[in-house]
Amino acid sequence: MDKRGSLELLNLEGSNYTKSSSFSPETAETRIFSKPENRWGKTSPSKSYCSSSSTSTENVVSTLERHKGNSASGIEATLSNRPDDPPLVLGERVAGQARDVTYLCPYYGPARGVLTVTNYKLYFRSVDKEMPYVIDVALGVVSRIEKVGGQSSRGENAYGIEVFCKDMRNLRFAHKQENHSRRDVFEKLQQFTFPLSHKLKLFAFEYSENFAENGWAIYEPIAELKRMGINNDMWKISKINENHEVCDSYPAVWAVPAQATDDDLRAVAAYRSRGRIPVLSWIHPESQATITRCSQPLVGVSGKRCREDEKYIQLIMDANAQSHKMFIMDARPSANAIANKAKGGGYESEDAYQNAELVFLDIHNIHVMRESLRKVKELCFPTIEETRWMSGVESTYWLKHIKCILAGAVRIVDKVENHKNSVLVHCSDGWDRTAQLTALAMLMLDPYYRTIKGFEVLIEKEWISFGHKFQQRIGHGDDHHSDADRSPVFLQFIDCVWQITQQFSNAFEFNECFLITILDHLYSCRFGTFLCNSERERLQEKLKEQTKSLWSFTNCQLDYYKNPLYWANTHQQQVLIPVASLRHINLWKSYYCRWNPSMRTQDPVYQRTRELLIMKEHMEKQVEESLREQQSRISRNNISPA
Amino acid sequence: MNSNDSTFKSYIEDTELENVSLNDGQKTRLLEGETVVLEAQKVRMFAPLSDKKKGTLGVLTMTTFKLSFASNESEEEGMEFYQSNNLLRRNEICLSAIDTIYQIGDKSKKKLVPGQSVSNKVKELFIVCKNMRVLSFGFKDADKDNGRQIANGLLHHAYPKRHPLLFMYDIKEPYNKPITKEARLYVTAEDWRKDLTRCKAKKWRISDVNKNFSVTLHMPEYLVVPETITNSQISTAARDFRNEGFPVWVWGTEHAALVRMPDLLPSLTDRVQENILITQVHKSHPRTQPIIVDLSRDCPTPKEVQSSYSKLKNLCTPDSVRVYKAQDFKFYGLLDQSKWLHHISMCLSKAVECAKVLVDDTTTVILQEDKGEDMNCVVSSLIQLLLDHHWRTRKGFQSLIQKEWVALGHPFAFRLGHILDPDIEPSFLFLLFLDCVWQMLQQFPTAFQFSETYLTTIWDSSHITIFETFLFNSEHSRFLAGKQSTLRSVWNWSEQFSESDITLFDNPLYERSNKERLIPSTGISCLDVWRQCYFRWIPDLEIRNGGRPQIDICNRFLSEELELLRHKLATSNFNGAINKTKEEKLQILRRVNSFYPFSHNCASADQQLNNQLLLSSDALETQSIYNLATD
Repeated sequence: MDKRGSLELLNLEGSNYTKSSSFSPETAETRIFSKPENRWGKTSPSKSYCSSSSTSTENVVSTLERHKGNSASGIEATLSNRPDDPPLVLGERVAGQARDVTYLCPYYGPARGVLTVTNYKLYFRSVDKEMPYVIDVALGVVSRIEKVGGQSSRGENAYGIEVFCKDMRNLRFAHKQENHSRRDVFEKLQQFTFPLSHKLKLFAFEYSENFAENGWAIYEPIAELKRMGINNDMWKISKINENHEVCDSYPAVWAVPAQATDDDLRAVAAYRSRGRIPVLSWIHPESQATITRCSQPLVGVSGKRCREDEKYIQLIMDANAQSHKMFIMDARPSANAIANKAKGGGYESEDAYQNAELVFLDIHNIHVMRESLRKVKELCFPTIEETRWMSGVESTYWLKHIKCILAGAVRIVDKVENHKNSVLVHCSDGWDRTAQLTALAMLMLDPYYRTIKGFEVLIEKEWISFGHKFQQRIGHGDDHHSDADRSPVFLQFIDCVWQITQQFSNAFEFNECFLITILDHLYSCRFGTFLCNSERERLQEKLKEQTKSLWSFTNCQLDYYKNPLYWANTHQQQVLIPVASLRHINLWKSYYCRWNPSMRTQDPVYQRTRELLIMKEHMEKQVEESLREQQSRISRNNISPA
Repeated sequence: MNSNDSTFKSYIEDTELENVSLNDGQKTRLLEGETVVLEAQKVRMFAPLSDKKKGTLGVLTMTTFKLSFASNESEEEGMEFYQSNNLLRRNEICLSAIDTIYQIGDKSKKKLVPGQSVSNKVKELFIVCKNMRVLSFGFKDADKDNGRQIANGLLHHAYPKRHPLLFMYDIKEPYNKPITKEARLYVTAEDWRKDLTRCKAKKWRISDVNKNFSVTLHMPEYLVVPETITNSQISTAARDFRNEGFPVWVWGTEHAALVRMPDLLPSLTDRVQENILITQVHKSHPRTQPIIVDLSRDCPTPKEVQSSYSKLKNLCTPDSVRVYKAQDFKFYGLLDQSKWLHHISMCLSKAVECAKVLVDDTTTVILQEDKGEDMNCVVSSLIQLLLDHHWRTRKGFQSLIQKEWVALGHPFAFRLGHILDPDIEPSFLFLLFLDCVWQMLQQFPTAFQFSETYLTTIWDSSHITIFETFLFNSEHSRFLAGKQSTLRSVWNWSEQFSESDITLFDNPLYERSNKERLIPSTGISCLDVWRQCYFRWIPDLEIRNGGRPQIDICNRFLSEELELLRHKLATSNFNGAINKTKEEKLQILRRVNSFYPFSHNCASADQQLNNQLLLSSDALETQSIYNLATD
């Protein structure tokens, strides 16, 4: 039996020729010392990916999963004996299977095999026993499925299905017309890929793995506020939104100026788009300068003002004794902000908000970003046209958007850190660009968020609890692939984080693999973490009771996400100011181009550092042992003559 | 930056500034044999990308060797931690390092051409160096005419027309290290013999056919040729080749050889002599027919490389924030247009291809090109780095450069622009090569004993006219010069740097056991910009406490600790010496920025942020418009 546990589908190179022998259940640690020629790609990185099972980051995760598969008897039991059957996770079941299907690999050409659809994934395994080729995609990743060719289609491989994915790849399978396998597979795929369109539940509600850690407990809003020293004289914890009645897209717990009454808060909510009033995101431990977030004020064409809102902003300013000035950072281009007045929104006039300076950060909206990412996919998948690479990168505008977001966050950090000014951030609704900016600024300001658990808290807090509409932006389980509400806002945030990690390689506890794992499960629907649009919806859906948290999964295997260069806890005081220049910003190839087997995805520096660290630990142990031995010898010698 | 107008005015009105008085430590120090040509008082030096309202007031001195700016402002703290050159201080450059001089007017920027003489008043000079450094001097407060004099002085002295005008011939500093252990020079037969033995190349012999440079002035006296060929055959055939060259062995295995040769004379139609020699090469490895690789066809020409460098240089030496911003906006497009990475990609993939033929097909590769002294050097050295770990140590790399570039006659004096020559234009093929090596180092960070800092330092050092290594066009002219002057090798790094600076040439990730053949990815998408070398003079691009040096330093700590542990285990002495404490290490990390150990710009952090932030207000105009409605 193939001892392979469930391959962590998203962490795996989806398209790899794999030698089954390479799947011996060795641990990642032992591998670091063993050096089969093409494992670490010393001689030829490009070559190694064509032949070896997986790349380093992916390798680590898949190895771990395999491990668990072997140890957790529950999983073992679900593994089928039939070699064509996919490895299953708990709660997963096979829904349909088609033999004699051909996967049209853009890199290695067609491969014949068995295609299986489960309630969680699409799994293809080629019949070639020597070099089995495995495709393993969570259905949550799929955005669109189309039939290619009809009964009259002639020509080899002209008849089949094409699967379009949210993670930058498309898969094409060819079926034989005569055995009618396509209809069944297509139906099953439709059904389980788009459960919400078929009155089914998302897989996360069926997934029943037990983890030693409970990731749902990682973020405790009050504990996190306490960590920042709240309550204090100037800020208080308010439970006015306990039942999500003041603002249905906000969390239950807010930190607001201590002076603000409940009536004030309600009045401000009435003046802010969707009731998203300014509440605290972060407070500087020394200067008490704050980052607060909200949505746009409802100014409208008539230029409506709101005394309470003005007073409330003044309270936020006054809560910071160090400065008599405050910045309102409007994430939008000014033209967009002005245009919003026509729809009842707008921005704060400096007349109404004295001592506040308004700055537009020029970040574009979700539609621009979606279009930009579409171009990135065109550029990166399936193959790269080398000679047009750089002009291609330029024409996607993706990196310019990344630069704008980073520059905006740097600007916030500069005000808070260097000038002790408080900053209020908003865009239109305050759940997309605003979340990007506050989360990035907090990441730069506070080393806690650069630890693995801190980063999880940051996502839980700034993104999930403050109502980034994951369900809408990702479109979990529904088939409206061209829905205008979809947009890669969160991906863009993770990309920005990656850019910062590239500039500050030793300031983060986590590695690239962690970021990619997060992105993979952003789509996978295996965990409840990124489901629904708001805290309120999550409560209604009983997500915490009925689904597993992604952090349960990650925190059980922290070693695989650790950055060997991280200078644990010693870098604490550091504020990171990345350079937001295109001269420093690169396309994240190990994410966007990772399906291309010729793309080097492993970072050899990282690999080598890991080796050196392990070597060091090893030698330290040796020294310790020898020392103990020496001492016991000495004491023996001291005793024996007597 | 909204600088305070009132303080700005205050010094403008103060028309008569005092001369800047310097103490002995601050004054420009002269080497033995160096003389002052011009000196200008009250010159302002402006930081790169600064608003040019302020600037450091000081004395600008032009000597026969360098351009030096001295002020009485105290050095920033922590500078001892950065690379410092014994021959050139922080605000000094060798005249030969100057690439282009611009005269800056109120609204104009005019390139000054060597040979021209400036007749009008010069208010400001903007100097771009070959290593992308920029220097900007204002002469508003200086004595009348000083600006013009300096401009004309530089135009005259920085672009000499004859070799004996280089400072190498004037320097009288003592030098006691004539024979270097740091590299093999390939001047003697012995060096070639060692290579032949090491490579197990049996059917090749060392020939003294060029003794006394009697056959060609472009190659060394000893060369390796096919065993079966006679010296007289060579001298006859050489007459048919450009530069009187002929095929020579440079590297090989038991089964195949890497051979370099120039083209036949363009006037010749008859290839008889070439065929005779190639037949002999074939005889040395008779199993397969050797393959001739025409590099003039397959690789960029020196002219193309230089035009590419020129565009890259523009991208790395913006003269104002406005230009910097505009470039940043279109950075990838401009980089693409420079074609620099395209050329790197071409050279690397040609080398990979040849390496494959040599090893996988055990077939001899003959590199052929024009005069055999440009792209031959690039590709031949790259192939050897790919295939032979021997060259990936520091000494090995230095020997490789000595062999492929110095001994086999890359015309450095012309190509690096030490000497202006109407026939051979400058072309920084050597930088292209170093960049290719840097790309390999990125892809195989454990395969090389040296660091990127080392590669960058080599490029810097190639413009210092004290060292002979990169100064001559051929072994022959070096030989002649050696008769009258001391030859100082650049490889004696201690001439320039302290022990601790030299330590940074070592790569902490190097794995001695890594002897594998390297097969780098050569697609443009797999290449990167050599930021340390090209961007280090742009203060706005410095990442505070970030960038690669942080990784580098962390790994240095690690290897130090490993070394200590190893020592403990070996000596069974488990007590004693402790490594740096965590606090000490942090102290170091906090001082390291992304351009360490080169420029150090943190004093201008405010300015930097300011410029950076200006960038964020760029609207993506094309996109703003069509999405207004949907926001």
